[in-house]
Amino acid sequence: MSDFLASVERRAFKQAVFSVQEEQAALDIVQDSMLRLAEKYPDRPPGELPLLFQRILQNAIRDHFRRSKVRSTWTTLLSNLGMGGDDDDADPLETMEVDDSANVPASPEAQLEQSQVMATIEEAVKALPDRQREAFMLRYWEELDVSETAKVMGCSEGSVKTHCSRATHALAKVLKAKGITL
Amino acid sequence: MNEKEFASKLKPWLDRSAAEVGELQATRLRAARLRAMDAYREPVRLFGLVTVNAGTAQTLNYSVLQRALLFLPLAALLVVLTLKSVEEPDPGDLDAQLLTQELPPDAFLDQDFRTWVGKPQS
Repeated sequence: MSDFLASVERRAFKQAVFSVQEEQAALDIVQDSMLRLAEKYPDRPPGELPLLFQRILQNAIRDHFRRSKVRSTWTTLLSNLGMGGDDDDADPLETMEVDDSANVPASPEAQLEQSQVMATIEEAVKALPDRQREAFMLRYWEELDVSETAKVMGCSEGSVKTHCSRATHALAKVLKAKGITL
Repeated sequence: MNEKEFASKLKPWLDRSAAEVGELQATRLRAARLRAMDAYREPVRLFGLVTVNAGTAQTLNYSVLQRALLFLPLAALLVVLTLKSVEEPDPGDLDAQLLTQELPPDAFLDQDFRTWVGKPQS
């Protein structure tokens, strides 16, 4: 169990950061997920742990959003300023503004260039719609197959394929726009 | 470039990004893992049954025999209680006998009477 947690903790943290975009909240989510796995499923064979952990992690991320939504609803109600547009359904990549600072001409130092590429990729992943990012991360980073990804996400395999395809195309578009070739 | 190819080229970048998590975050993640491991108890197995800490009943897959074994302590308890209730006289019956005797109940509380009863009759 300890080895498994050690092997996934950083990726889980990055996944949570990509989703909630807040390091403190991401750390809390990962901690809760690890605790839940250790407490509730100590008897599970090692082969089942990755899928179980991803389920717990994704549920914890969804719970975080649910709580934030309730909190923001109350804040909006209390402040009587319900004028903000609800663009939850909008694809951020459609309207994403290009950060000019990322278009700095290639530095002679490869390290700097690499860190810029990485930052761009991270930003692009963060900007994906939640379900697309979730599908992409599970399928291509955690290397779950389509049916496992569908189980974790609680949707059909067809939806997984659609989300993955859209995410991939959106990421490719952003990277291309920034002149990045992988 | 197809979808899988693109994703496989992106993966090393994501791996690197995870590997380069800051020292502070890495320390906190390690602390979180240790806390989780504190809560983790290696389940003890007996006849294929595991301890309660191994998870909730819904997560365990027991065979029919193992399920039957789970009810063994309850069945044993029922047997013991039944035997005990058969052996022990009913206090209600004792009270009834006491009250229907010619001697008043106070007589049994009288220490001298008990001594007199205990004396061998000559």
